[in-house]
Amino acid sequence: MAEHGSPGRVSFGLGDALRLGYDYIKKRRDRALINISSIALGIAFLSTLLFTDSFYRAFIAAGGAHLSIESYQYWLMFVALIVSVVGITNAVLIAVYERYREIGTLKCIGAMDRHILLLFLVESLIQGGIGGILGFFLGIIGALISTGGTTGFDIILKVPATEILILFLGSTFLSIFLSVIATIYPARHAAKLNPVEALRYEL
Amino acid sequence: MSFDMIIQLEDLTRHYEMGGVQIKALDGVDIEINRGEYLSIVGPSGSGKTTLFNLVGGLDRPTRGKVYIDGVDISQLDAYELAWLRCRKIGYIFQTFNLIPVLTALENVSLPTVFAGVPRDEGLEKAQKLLTSVGLGERVHHRPGELSAGQQQRVAIARAMANDPAIILADEPTGNLDLNTGMEIIDLLHGLNRTRGMTLIAATHDLKMITASDRVVWMRDGAIEKIERG
Repeated sequence: MAEHGSPGRVSFGLGDALRLGYDYIKKRRDRALINISSIALGIAFLSTLLFTDSFYRAFIAAGGAHLSIESYQYWLMFVALIVSVVGITNAVLIAVYERYREIGTLKCIGAMDRHILLLFLVESLIQGGIGGILGFFLGIIGALISTGGTTGFDIILKVPATEILILFLGSTFLSIFLSVIATIYPARHAAKLNPVEALRYEL
Repeated sequence: MSFDMIIQLEDLTRHYEMGGVQIKALDGVDIEINRGEYLSIVGPSGSGKTTLFNLVGGLDRPTRGKVYIDGVDISQLDAYELAWLRCRKIGYIFQTFNLIPVLTALENVSLPTVFAGVPRDEGLEKAQKLLTSVGLGERVHHRPGELSAGQQQRVAIARAMANDPAIILADEPTGNLDLNTGMEIIDLLHGLNRTRGMTLIAATHDLKMITASDRVVWMRDGAIEKIERG
């Protein structure tokens, strides 16, 4: 009880948010899996198309016949990503309602609005990262299944390593970005909750 | 202002608009609470107990009047300072326990120390000690769902103490407990009030709770009806 004097500052840094967010994901695995698979499927679609394109180019460079992706397939991918984002927004919104009292309690023990926001965004960042990596590898498998019959399955060895690396980083970052974007609205809603009402809330 | 006064409420008033009707949840409450005092607030539901707690804890803003904690008018505090007040100076205990269901007892108790900026190991060590002191040293890795109601309230008490607050606000702490468990919780709170010198303010409509307290505040319709020595 040394702090009878002037008020100080509460602290909740990125490290704290990461640790707590990781705990939440681990312990609410079902909800996290829905979000991860939602973004993973969208990214898998993207990754399939991009790898199909890479495989075609590698095939042509190796003297094969001219193959190309139809433009409507890119439109489909775009739609798939939007569906992912909407799905995540919906799932996180439900999670916020489930955690109403919990958010109220956190505010009672010293959490500020920005800490609640940070916590939800960090959770979504972790989920987006995992979903992105999963989706990337699913996409490679998808592309091999769809083109392997024509180009040969060893086509992946003919794609330059730097190109694979760029695709990996690109799809992972896009996944994190989309996941965070999808979470901003529900997370802001959670952060602005009035603790008095949140504590009174019965599910 | 005397050094021994920790909370001072001045004409504290909170009105709500609900469906065009004005509800006077709290209507001009004046009281001074001393450091280390055990104060019971008794009254039927709807008499303004919870509203009073929300205002003292800075969770809600009064329509009129002031709350001074250690001589500081809390309406002058910014969001950071209010959060600090709730984190370091005040410990909350609820009727419904409000533990985080996915975290273990140990993690629940150490959570306030995270916001207080205490290093993780130190916070966990503190939580272990507190859980031992409330008699749950063997159950620190259990989740709330694996504990009885009385044990959950003990965890909640340990959590409220995590940052050595000067004030404990307990809103109907025995409301969800059976008679014996309720008495144990009252004894535990009373013991903490005596040994640690924490100011304990407990709202209740359970008359068994008030026998141990220094003063009893009777509330009705948002106002103080009478104050009795315990």
